Amino acid sequence: MAFFTEYLADPRTRSALLEQALEHVYLTAIPVLVAVVLGLFLGILAHRSPQLRSPILSVVSTLLTIPSLALFAILIPIVGIGAGPAIIALTLYALLPIVRNTVSGLFSVDNAVIESAKGMGMSATMRLWKIELPNAWPVMLAGIRVATLLTVGIAAIAALVGGPGLGQEIFTGIRRIPATGSLESLLGGTILIVVLAVLFDLLYLAIGRLTIPRGIRE
Amino acid sequence: MSDETTATPETAIGKGSELGETMIELQELTKRFPGQEEPAVDRLTLKIPKGEIVVFVGPSGCGKTTSLKMINRIIEPTSGHIIIDGEDVTDIDPNHLRRRIGYVIQQIGLFPHIRIGDNVATVPQLLGWDKERTSQRVDELLEVVGLPPDQYRERFPKELSGGQRQRVGVARALAADPPVLLMDEPFGAIDPITRTRLQNEFLRLQSELQKTIAFVTHDIDEAIKMGDRIAILQEGSKVAQFATPEEILTNPANEFVEDFVGTGATLKRLKLTRVREVQASEALTGRTDEDRDALRKRFEESEWTAMLLLDPDHKPLRWLRGSDLRSSRPLEKLGLPARAYVEPQATLSDALEEMLLGSAGVAIVVDRGGAYQGLLDIDGIITSIQAMRDVDAEFYRAAKLADPEGEVSV
Repeated sequence: MAFFTEYLADPRTRSALLEQALEHVYLTAIPVLVAVVLGLFLGILAHRSPQLRSPILSVVSTLLTIPSLALFAILIPIVGIGAGPAIIALTLYALLPIVRNTVSGLFSVDNAVIESAKGMGMSATMRLWKIELPNAWPVMLAGIRVATLLTVGIAAIAALVGGPGLGQEIFTGIRRIPATGSLESLLGGTILIVVLAVLFDLLYLAIGRLTIPRGIRE
Repeated sequence: MSDETTATPETAIGKGSELGETMIELQELTKRFPGQEEPAVDRLTLKIPKGEIVVFVGPSGCGKTTSLKMINRIIEPTSGHIIIDGEDVTDIDPNHLRRRIGYVIQQIGLFPHIRIGDNVATVPQLLGWDKERTSQRVDELLEVVGLPPDQYRERFPKELSGGQRQRVGVARALAADPPVLLMDEPFGAIDPITRTRLQNEFLRLQSELQKTIAFVTHDIDEAIKMGDRIAILQEGSKVAQFATPEEILTNPANEFVEDFVGTGATLKRLKLTRVREVQASEALTGRTDEDRDALRKRFEESEWTAMLLLDPDHKPLRWLRGSDLRSSRPLEKLGLPARAYVEPQATLSDALEEMLLGSAGVAIVVDRGGAYQGLLDIDGIITSIQAMRDVDAEFYRAAKLADPEGEVSV
């Protein structure tokens, strides 16, 4: 097959792919980082306040049901084309796993642990930072990981609204079907996205090792 | 409530039946939970004397736990007052209040993500102690609860057994040396053998520390064993009787108390007497580092039918019979293993149980380090039951003399 002998052998292809891959990384990382901050806040709020819990969870769930292409398109008139609509849309998608796991992580902390923290005179803020979040962290981190993998995949659509990333190579391929080399482009973009996903997964494995306290590791 | 306590005839029986200096005072303490018609705790008024263990005991749903949790305001009272050491703490900042009160719960609630040492250091850290003082205190406390700090300080809660975890729970509650401890069924979720051991160790600790302790249990036997004073609670935390265990066993205030205490009051009273209060008898002993022939000679010249073999640290090892020493096998393998150990602060009930389990009819009294102190046999226990009965008879006579018309029913 010409994939290795011609497509990947061409240095121009290789450097273009590398550049797109790097774009793809930041197209994933920025929305995930923003979603972590926002999601943590919403998650803690939903855990604390029974009145806000169900509105918050319904809104973030509904966001995920909007087809990605439609969401990108809706954002174009507001923020224009390019990376802008992509980053906003991807942030919204990444929220659900993070918010949901933050809430269930906080609920999974043993009541006796919280009661004893309270009984020793820890304030609500101290309990949150010193007891609840550290113990909820494994579940929260799992949510962030799912959000990241989700974002790596959906980020490919960004190319359709003029956005950066490996989606460009995929859509180049799709547009040129059935011309020679179209299948190679399609495959090249897709395989690299999968590789990125695997690398992100390994990164989370490492983060988990470093940040989950030994006392609560499986 | 106060009527009921003063109605009990003043007697010399029992320990500290006079109320000493009050440490915790509950005044008309009431809790109504939203949506419930009857208050969970209805105007509870009680004085807990300084340095005593007061046990709240009663059937489930009587409000004993709610009452306890109002003292450190984990549950905020609907009305009434809590006075601790003369200060009304009903409206002060609950976090500051709680740092002055040790809190031990049945489910323990150790922080799973931090090490044992850090768990124990929680309150000292909240109080802003410096590192050195905190770490010295942590080591001291782990030592006190029988967990050598070198082995346990760096471990995580999941690496400990249930009994060890509750030892840490107790150490954590004692960390900042609070004058008051609240204990909500602290030994309830622990297997019976470990529970007995923890109870005994805790009583020994308390005899040194002299904390003021409110202790909740549903188990009357535990209440009798642990309490300097017992508050038997009915629904709504109504105090059915507040008295020393002796008074409750010999003179229950009403039918509810009588039913709750149940049958077998004499057996229960065995839980009131400690092994150290009974004269232990001596055994013929020999140590493994003595000459075998010397042991044999001493054995044969004595009138004993058995010799207790101790190791060089005086820890009991084996029971030997006369013929055993004639064999040439190593001393440690002769005779029968020595079983049924009790510590001086164990109750006679514990000792009796050990004797029955060990099927030797004797229990070996050992000190904290496991060294031999003496023997306790069935006769010793029977003698002390006899003594209790004599005291009772004395009490009836005195009560009748004081009030010839009055009916004394026990």
